[in-house]
Amino acid sequence: MRIGGATLTTLKNEYGARLSTPSGLVVAVHPIGRGMTVPVSVRYIERSRSCGANSIRRPFAPAGQNSTRRGGAVKPPRAQVRAGDRHVPTPHVAGVATLPNGEYDAPERDLALRVALDALEAADCPAGALDGIYMPKPRPWTAQGLFSTLLTNLLGARPRRTVEVYTGGTSGGTAFRTAVADLRAGRAERALVLAVERTSTVETADYFGYVLSLFDREFAAPAGPSIPAVYAASARRYCHDRDVDRSTLAEVVVKNRANGAANPRGLFEESVTVEGVLDARPIAEPLGLYECPAPCDGAAALVLAADGDPPDGAVSVVGVGGRHAASHLLGPRDGPLYALPAVEGAVDAALTDAGIDAAADLDLLEPYAPFPHVEAALTEAVGLFDRGAGAAACARGATATDGAHPVSPSGGCLGRGHPAMVTPLLNYAAAVRQLRGTAPAPLQVPGARTALTTTEHGHVDGATAAVFRRGSA
Amino acid sequence: MTAGRDWRADPEAGQYTDPFWDALEADRFLLHRCRDCEETFFPPAPVCPRCGRTDVAWVEADGRGRLVSFTRQHVAPPGFEAPLALGVVELVEGPRLLAGLPGDAAPSLDATVELTAVEYDADYDRRDRSGRPFFAARIVE
Repeated sequence: MRIGGATLTTLKNEYGARLSTPSGLVVAVHPIGRGMTVPVSVRYIERSRSCGANSIRRPFAPAGQNSTRRGGAVKPPRAQVRAGDRHVPTPHVAGVATLPNGEYDAPERDLALRVALDALEAADCPAGALDGIYMPKPRPWTAQGLFSTLLTNLLGARPRRTVEVYTGGTSGGTAFRTAVADLRAGRAERALVLAVERTSTVETADYFGYVLSLFDREFAAPAGPSIPAVYAASARRYCHDRDVDRSTLAEVVVKNRANGAANPRGLFEESVTVEGVLDARPIAEPLGLYECPAPCDGAAALVLAADGDPPDGAVSVVGVGGRHAASHLLGPRDGPLYALPAVEGAVDAALTDAGIDAAADLDLLEPYAPFPHVEAALTEAVGLFDRGAGAAACARGATATDGAHPVSPSGGCLGRGHPAMVTPLLNYAAAVRQLRGTAPAPLQVPGARTALTTTEHGHVDGATAAVFRRGSA
Repeated sequence: MTAGRDWRADPEAGQYTDPFWDALEADRFLLHRCRDCEETFFPPAPVCPRCGRTDVAWVEADGRGRLVSFTRQHVAPPGFEAPLALGVVELVEGPRLLAGLPGDAAPSLDATVELTAVEYDADYDRRDRSGRPFFAARIVE
């Protein structure tokens, strides 16, 4: 497989599987301003059709000088919602950039700069005009610390706020929600949200040490669990209680791997069959290799803007939400092991925020669902299907790109590869591309106008949700 | 039922969870119960996760429970031998916990299990709990 001039290589994921993956660096040297060079040849610049140079009144003004709160002849933000006496602007996505999932030799700094600069260029937004930079804190094996400060300096940005947040798999979602909150509150007009991760650099022992540290280190970690182990436990219980065969659940993997294989930004070029899923090497029974997400390297960035009227056709962030259950990797205190109260709460909040009555009214979902029963149970939890009917609905094509409720057209965690800190932003980018009509052709949901994304961490202990809409509310 | 230690009163007196490990040495498994709403919970903490009150106490568990689910982990962390059998146990008092499933007995969903104190032999740094026994779930039927 060749992606944007990338070279082929293989790597072993943490489970020892050999994967085909693009190695996107060292093909060419691309200048990125101020004399710095970064050997990244893979570029996916996507200019927002809704945010050109004219939408930023003084593009090279220092951050804050466009602010309506600082006086001067500037027009107020677009008012879509009135909160008390203040008009609350609706942020729109001005620029998106992602690197294909794979294995990269360059340091995280270079991957982050690549997507940041591409997203800023797409948004016609110089780094000096950013009010905020928001990102997941890179995980412990990342050599560079104080990452957002390094990035701010290299970009020449002077934001009023930088945020590095770590809440496991929801980190990107938490960074995104924080940016949206600042934009809505008028604390920022232009925000850069980005994420970067290289799992290819971590030694297996260090990775398992990190995973053990996620569990209660006094009462659970000494038993030696892994993340797939707790999902295996909930998968087994889900199948038993909901009378779902593992072979039916495997259809979720088959669908997502087929979508991922058609996604040029995905990790895999090959799809899988139900038999292949069932016969794969066991990781944590009943889950086999293909039922577990493949860690990989990746990076993504979005520029969000709330600095005036978005041009027609802009993709806006119209709803956000979050919830954390009283749970820590062993299911909620007051529900079965596979219950998803955090997702239910986050999605309900985001839909309410967006003024959308039901998830069934959405055109597509890009959920953070790292294991097949999570996607099936999530589609049930948000009300698309009856309890226990999610996997069967997938098997009959209801969640396919051309189905009634497309779910994970990008391939999602299972089909696209899973750089966990980046996956939330990859979901946002996939949603934005769908709504712009620029998703890879076989994966485009025709006429899509609304999309729901989710993130989760732990064993779906915490979740965030975001709703995107093309055009005015 | 014995009173839970108020860790705010004497932070020098030791860790809040010391009584659990002391009891486990004697093969007794302690939980926490809220005196206000009678919620029984685990892990122990000085606050009731149901009602939020802090009038909590140590209680001894029956030690039996139900195997809510289980897995056999084929990729184990360094220091652990694969395959590694793990179970999610729901105690008769209600709390859910994770425990190893030693032995050759084939687990089945909803099997009755019994918690036992076991000598800890994995190469995992439990820091100040090093040398203490840990607990595992034995399938009894």
